Formats: sequence, structure tokens, C-alpha cells
Amino acid sequence: MTSGDRIVVAIVVALALLEWPASVLATGGFAVQKVVTVTAPGHSYAVPLSAERTIDVHGLEGTVTVVVDGGEVAVTEAACPDHICVRQGRVGSGAIVCVPNGVTVRIGGGPDALDAQVR
Amino acid sequence: MRSTPRSADPRALTGTALLVAVGAVLGLVESAMLPPLPVPGVRLGLANIAVVLAMALYGRAAGLRVAVMRVLVVGLATGMLGGPAFALALGGAVTAWAVMALLDRVPSVSAIGRSVAGAAAHVAAQLLIAALLAASPSPLLLAPLSLGLALPCGLAIGYSARLLLSRLPLAQAAARV
Repeated sequence: MTSGDRIVVAIVVALALLEWPASVLATGGFAVQKVVTVTAPGHSYAVPLSAERTIDVHGLEGTVTVVVDGGEVAVTEAACPDHICVRQGRVGSGAIVCVPNGVTVRIGGGPDALDAQVR
Repeated sequence: MRSTPRSADPRALTGTALLVAVGAVLGLVESAMLPPLPVPGVRLGLANIAVVLAMALYGRAAGLRVAVMRVLVVGLATGMLGGPAFALALGGAVTAWAVMALLDRVPSVSAIGRSVAGAAAHVAAQLLIAALLAASPSPLLLAPLSLGLALPCGLAIGYSARLLLSRLPLAQAAARV
């Protein structure tokens, strides 16, 4: 290894060490923002889980009201016979499904989520 | 790209073509292997041996030819041509070549230093492109780890390339490394 090689190695090490605090500052660390995805027949919405939003979704049977607030999601009203989705209450992970209306409310983008893989 | 007199030499042309094939095969072998670490984007970079050799034997322009052609062949063979993974591969390969070509002008840096710098540039370019494609700076969080791992990988590839160059019966090899 020549002296020039040693300088190159030192520069790479220095860049790796300097980049670390810079990238943490720029991105706010490894905290991954979760996203609520509401899918209905013909359309879909994406809302950050940290937001406070009420969405009226048009399902097959009628309106489904999805409330996002305090890091949780709930279906508060739904035009369906059984109200299984409403009885599921407030949910911080996983999904709520309203089968008669064809509406799904899914929470994703957590630390385990792998969207794509590059080889 | 204008061809330099040296690469117009049929010997250099066939040598460069051979290195494209070697680089493509090494890239395919590597993409079939399990990644050594579960860090995205980290790989040994075996294919870079072909680029380092091409640059040392036939000049900088030949290095670029091998880098780009190799990525095209691997993209075609793995069906990723034109996808985001292809953009990452091409960006990484071209940036690595550019940095290695710059260091090729510095006489005190050998194939080892060039290989280390190329590996680091490859990683840095890929993370930047990933950040652009994802429209989010979070891929850059991997940079310290990826750059740190690029160092041993680059050293290994550089030493391998030097070993190969010292065994090749070509006068140019001895002259350039």
C-alpha cells in the first residue's frame, strides 16, 4: 500500500464518520413514519398516522367514516349490517377491513416494512 | 466517446471485451450469492475487478466502457434493465469509474487506493440516487455503515486486482501498477 493509498483510506474513513451526524440531523434518525392507507373500490387515500383527519369513504354499501387521530385509526361509522369494522375500535397497527363495503384501512411503513429490494 | 489509439488496437479491443464478460459474470455471481450482510447496497463489488484491470491495462476510457457495458449486460440478464435497481447500478458504476479515473492521474495512488475510492464512490452514488428516487433523505442514514464496509471490500478487490496484474504477462500492467 502506497502513501497515496493510505490517504485515500483515511479520506473514506473520515467521510463515513462525518456523514453520520449529518445524516442523522437531516433525517431525524431512524424513526419511520407510519402511513394509513385507506382503499375503497375505485380510489384510495394515504394519511400519515400522526395526522388528525376524518375521511368519509364511499364504499359499495354506503359511507365509511375513518378517523385518524392520536397515532391510531378507527372506523367510527359504516353503512354495513354487522359493523365488525366499527367494533374493532381504535387500532395502532395492522388493518381494519369492512368487507361489505370493500374498504380496507391498513397501517404500513413501520420499521419492518420492506418496500423493495435492490440486488 | 472517441476511441484512443491504444483501444483501437485489436488486442486492447478483445481484452476489453473479455473484461466486460468477466465483469458481467462476476456481477451475476455476486447477485446470486446471499449478501454478506443484511445491509442494503453492501456487496463485495467483485465486478469492479474488471474495471480496475481494464483501466490499468487499456486506459481510463476502456475502464468506462467495461463499467457501462457490464451494467447493461447484467441488467439485460437479470431483467432489471431500466428499473430503479438499474439506475442505481449504472449511477454507481459510472461514479466509481469517474473517481477511479481521477485518481489514475495521481501517481502515488496504486490500484488499491483506486479500488477503495471506487467502492466508496459507488456506495455514495447509489445512496444518493436511492434518496432521489425515494424523494426522502433516509437512505443517507446507511451511508456511514455502507462507507465503512466499502473500505474492506475495496481493499480486498484492490489487492486481488494487483495480484492479477502482477501475474498477467503484459508489459503495460507492470508499467501502470
